[in-house]
Amino acid sequence: MTRALFDAPRRGRTILAAIGIFAASLVVGTAATVGFGLATGFDRAARQADLPDVIARFDREPRDTVDERVSALPNLESRSYRFELEDVPLRAGGEHTHKGILHVVLGGRRGYAITAGRDVRGPHEAVVERGLAREWGLAPGDRLVAWRDYELRVVGVAVEPDNVAFPLTVTPRAYVSERDWGDEPLPANLALLWLADPERADITLAQARASSFGIGGLSFVTRAGIEALLGEAAGIVISLLVAFSLVALVAAGTMLAASAHAETQRRLPALGVQRALGFTPARLAGRQAAETALVAAPAAALGLGAGALAVAGPSAALLAQLNEQPPGAALLPVHAACLLAITALVTAAATWPAWRAARRPPAEILRGGELGRAGARRWSMRPAPPAHDGLLATGARFAFAARGRFAASVATIAVCAAVVTLMLALATLLDRLRDDPGAVGKRYQLTVRLDPFEVDAVKAIPGVADAAERYQTDVADSFRLGEPLRMIAYRGDHTTFEAPPLADGRRLRGDGEVEVGVGLADALGLRPGATLAVQPEGGDEVRFRVSGVVRALEHDGRIAYVRPRRLLDAQPGVGSTISVRLEPGADRALVERELEALGAPPQPVGGATTRNAAFLGVLATVLRGVGLAVGLVCLYALIQALAMTARDRRGAVALLRACGGDAGTVATVLAGAALAVAVPAAVAGVVLEWLVLGPLVARSAAGFASLPLAPSAGQVAVVLGGLAVLAAAATAVVARRALREPVIAGLREE
Amino acid sequence: MAVVSARGLVRTFGQGRSARRVLDGADLDVEAGEIVAVLGRSGSGKSTLLHVLGGLDRPDAGTVELGGERVTGAAERRLSALRRRHVGFVFQFFHLLPELSGEANVLLAARVRGADPGAVARGRALVDRLGLREVAESLPHELSGGEQQRFAIARALVNDPSVLLADEPTGNLDVRAGAEVLVLLRELAADTRPTSSGGTGGRAVVLVTHEASAAGIADRVLRLEGGRLVAA
Repeated sequence: MTRALFDAPRRGRTILAAIGIFAASLVVGTAATVGFGLATGFDRAARQADLPDVIARFDREPRDTVDERVSALPNLESRSYRFELEDVPLRAGGEHTHKGILHVVLGGRRGYAITAGRDVRGPHEAVVERGLAREWGLAPGDRLVAWRDYELRVVGVAVEPDNVAFPLTVTPRAYVSERDWGDEPLPANLALLWLADPERADITLAQARASSFGIGGLSFVTRAGIEALLGEAAGIVISLLVAFSLVALVAAGTMLAASAHAETQRRLPALGVQRALGFTPARLAGRQAAETALVAAPAAALGLGAGALAVAGPSAALLAQLNEQPPGAALLPVHAACLLAITALVTAAATWPAWRAARRPPAEILRGGELGRAGARRWSMRPAPPAHDGLLATGARFAFAARGRFAASVATIAVCAAVVTLMLALATLLDRLRDDPGAVGKRYQLTVRLDPFEVDAVKAIPGVADAAERYQTDVADSFRLGEPLRMIAYRGDHTTFEAPPLADGRRLRGDGEVEVGVGLADALGLRPGATLAVQPEGGDEVRFRVSGVVRALEHDGRIAYVRPRRLLDAQPGVGSTISVRLEPGADRALVERELEALGAPPQPVGGATTRNAAFLGVLATVLRGVGLAVGLVCLYALIQALAMTARDRRGAVALLRACGGDAGTVATVLAGAALAVAVPAAVAGVVLEWLVLGPLVARSAAGFASLPLAPSAGQVAVVLGGLAVLAAAATAVVARRALREPVIAGLREE
Repeated sequence: MAVVSARGLVRTFGQGRSARRVLDGADLDVEAGEIVAVLGRSGSGKSTLLHVLGGLDRPDAGTVELGGERVTGAAERRLSALRRRHVGFVFQFFHLLPELSGEANVLLAARVRGADPGAVARGRALVDRLGLREVAESLPHELSGGEQQRFAIARALVNDPSVLLADEPTGNLDVRAGAEVLVLLRELAADTRPTSSGGTGGRAVVLVTHEASAAGIADRVLRLEGGRLVAA
């Protein structure tokens, strides 16, 4: 059977089918590797780190006082405490930060996993978080200095998946021993709680709140909450990857089914003879299934392996950014399941036409009828338009002739093109979110921390188009204190500087009105006309009437734009900066120097997630990788469609050659067939992305913001150009094969 | 001077004990305006001879020249050009493309790269000349066998070749249509208008058939026996 598959007449088709399965499996392999890693990464890391079910933060208190109350909580299995120091200057090996966090471990279960070295045991020892170790190149044995002279020897590297890793978070963390802090017992401001039944955490939390009288600044984070937070970003990636791998698989299945249909059509006489000799349809279909599985299984295994290898690096980097662990051997059963699924799907797709053909009466098969409905397969039965066809048009006619295959090819390549377009749009969006303030509705380029009375001086700088005070503070909703939100205030029209698109209602017009982000509106059930009551830190409650809802990406859409008067009345100490809008073509460096001369260095304004640049970069790389794999599926589909057309019309190709047509003539005809598929597929793909995929993904990724996922002219050009290149490549491959065949072989078949 | 000249053609199919030498030192010369009919049993190598003469197949030994140009040993690109300039093929089964009208099939040969610039006009003129104008827009399945073969002959003549190679041109036609096609071939051979390759003495026609009646129009009748051409 193996020999039959690789005998000269079938070798090319077998190899082509194997390449298709390989390409589809490659996409599935990448999706499975990244998707499974992200889907299970948190659980794995949390289990390995023994992450507590609840983390409570509070103002520093004597440990005994806290423990007295904590130990009385219901559903508690165990507890431990830490003393957390924030904004600690850290430096090592030429790197430094003022945002370091030191956790003094006060005994008990530690809640982090050591991934290198060991835990702290004695004085002047530190364990650093993996993100810090990676970014600063730290390893056990290195030196780390906190403040000016607190020298520590790094003895281990740890992962604590209660937050994303440094530098995704700007606060790198190190763990130190209690022994460095003298004999007096240190206070605690962090309690780690492990529950007997994590499902009933609400009971424990309710009791904790009830018994927290006298303990200030209390806040809780649950393990489920952390998982949801980290999973939000990962979920989008997973759903995209799963969708793309399904697309690739369906594309490969469709093309293989079309190929199997053509192959069965060619083998119809042999099938007829076999049926006449007494072979049952089941036996003939079984043979086809066995032959297909023999090709599909190794090709799929190779594809899955290659896909897994291709994204192993980016996937591990992504997980590391999220403070999660790679799946390791746990991925093997997933890939085994994928292998089985792909082999089964491909085998079913290839066996179905053989089964259908073999079930027909032997006499009918021997008469050589088409597999499909009589008269339904070819358009040639229709009157032809006036005969002015060139070679390209003749090739296009060849492609149109097999309607079912033409439709399947166009649909497959259109979906692939749509996915690639979406990938490009997503990657561009990620880059813009990282770098371009305009992507989140910000219309100013610089911000400077100067006194508000300097606004006029800033406006007077050449190259500055406008400047205004910008107040920003994080407050809580009065009714639901667990819902934090960010308030931003400008004295005049804020849309001059920040203009997220309006989703509902109108812009604010007075001191008592507010525009809220969709994220906040969803969380609090706000609509235009509703009241937003906020509780500034240490101030009185302030109320605003909602005038409009805006699609703001910043702070997950939990944002509110107001005029500053009421806010300042309630919280006079709200921090402000000056937002600076530059004129088009302004000398930015000059403006920056002038601003610095006024007394403070200006800061460039980034996108919504400037601090997450590395994370977004990794995501964009992964998405572009998947796009490339889908592009390979596209190439395969084109080659497959074209090869089948060439195979069907080898007589016509031979005739052209007999008439004196050279390689260029044959290539032109085949290019016509390729373009007949590629052009409508490209147009349909772009339209599909524009009208369906883009809006769908934008909505599912961030319902609180407007994500520009419509393809740009450049992206459309790249996709169209890419398809043209793929069509040319497919034409070259198939023309080369067609020209290798002797002319008389094609003439005999016709 | 012979338009077609073949010397010592040898062509073997298969290998080892199953090898079969269908041409074994065949020689042939055909003058311009001459029709040579080649008779022989089925499987005697008649079509192979035609394929070798027209550069569709390569002999194991021997030489072929068309219009003084060497066919044997030429690269594929050169062979394409030789076929385009010198050879017109007529097949038993017509080989018309089913999705193209009769005239489009004729003009297809005029659209191959390197075709004579006047080929399209010539193709249209041929459709008129062969009395096919009324059915020019019909699809092949709407045409009679005789009409299909006449379109196929028009296609073979589009590039104004000096040699017409006809492989059982009447084999798929009824007696009347077959007779019409044979008359047409006779007329084409006698046509002394200058060809695009410069010939002025009419076309050389090699007609392969197993029907003795078809040989009636030939100037010379040869028989392929034991791989050699002998006078019938």
